[in-house]
Amino acid sequence: MIEPTAEPAVEARGLTKRFGSKLAVGGLDLRIEKGTVFGFIGPNGAGKSTTIRMLMGLLPMNGGDATVMGIDVRQRPEAVRRCVGYVPEQHLIYRWMRVKEVLWFCRQLHEAWNESLARELCQQFELSGQTKVRHLSKGMLAKLALIIALAPEPELLILDEPMAGLDPIIREEFLETVLQSFCRGGRTIFFSTHMLGDIQRLADSVGIIHDGRLLVHGSVADLLSRTKRVRLALERDELPAELPQGVIRTWRNRRECVLTITDCDSQKVQHLEDAAQVRVVEVLDVGLEDIFKDYIKGQREAI
Amino acid sequence: MSINSNSHVPIFRQIAEHIRTGISAGIYQPDEMLPSLRALALELVVNPNTIQRAYEELEREGLVYSRRGLGLFVARQAVRSARSQSQDDVEKAFADGIRLARSAGLPDDEIRHVFSKSLARKMDKTGGKS
Repeated sequence: MIEPTAEPAVEARGLTKRFGSKLAVGGLDLRIEKGTVFGFIGPNGAGKSTTIRMLMGLLPMNGGDATVMGIDVRQRPEAVRRCVGYVPEQHLIYRWMRVKEVLWFCRQLHEAWNESLARELCQQFELSGQTKVRHLSKGMLAKLALIIALAPEPELLILDEPMAGLDPIIREEFLETVLQSFCRGGRTIFFSTHMLGDIQRLADSVGIIHDGRLLVHGSVADLLSRTKRVRLALERDELPAELPQGVIRTWRNRRECVLTITDCDSQKVQHLEDAAQVRVVEVLDVGLEDIFKDYIKGQREAI
Repeated sequence: MSINSNSHVPIFRQIAEHIRTGISAGIYQPDEMLPSLRALALELVVNPNTIQRAYEELEREGLVYSRRGLGLFVARQAVRSARSQSQDDVEKAFADGIRLARSAGLPDDEIRHVFSKSLARKMDKTGGKS
């Protein structure tokens, strides 16, 4: 299994970014072990792309520090960009060029470039070198961006919502290619997405970000097995005076109440069963999508 | 093997359960090799670390054993242990069903009736006991 190494692929401490008076990312801590896949999820505008762009050294941070593959991002941002394969949300590929010209151009920019891999992927994706970039469909453009990121065989691959707006067939092809490159070994993948099914399939660990803060950061399997919805039938329209630790959302309707609880164990359930205000307790399993929604809604409703 | 990527059951559990039932059904025979991590990962489009976790669970249960450098093989005594493991899973699934029935207010007699009906239907499809 994954051994925590002395040096993680990505480590950020107190990462902070302000745009004017708006705090886009507020003191974010992150640690991603080498050889794992990390899935980054959060609502639109939560700070995912801002975090990624800071880690890539494309956006100066206002506070905190970060190392990527052991390189200090503040001090050597260009070294970070050289060793990371990055597929941004907006593909900034030279639109007037032909595909083969883009590939030739990118090859000159990289010290390491596996030409046979680039060709193999072009063939697999049925991407013709003669096509002009501006004539490519959205899906083909995403595939070209992936080829450019993979050909230098980077140890870390960062994908910022790479599959947004792609049809299911292209998404599957894209995912398979990313997975194939991961299976070759020794690689770390960091991807942000809104597709929670893809997180379940690919990610070892997941981070949920909301309003620039990380609400949870841990293994996907642990999150699924330890987060429960606990449904209470109440005696009267009254909650127990003391709720257990780790309630991330409370939903109420008359004499029914549903608590979403992290690290839910038998002790917490027993505590609720013992409460005088509670008539019946029922523990329900929750899928990743509902866990995500409960974290976000819980935050919004608490304001 | 198909994976439900929206389920509350972690994928490594789904894979382990699938192989367990495969062993009790005789799809995987004693001393046969399981697919490699990489092959299964690419087939199912899931992280190979997840497959490894599933395989580790099966190894802990004594259903499979590893041969260094070769891979994982189905243990001789696996069929019996897999059946008892599967029985636990089935019990859990029934408990869920019974809970659903009770919260809908069905009395026990009707639950039994529904159960016999489902059992009869299943018998037709699979040709009865295996």
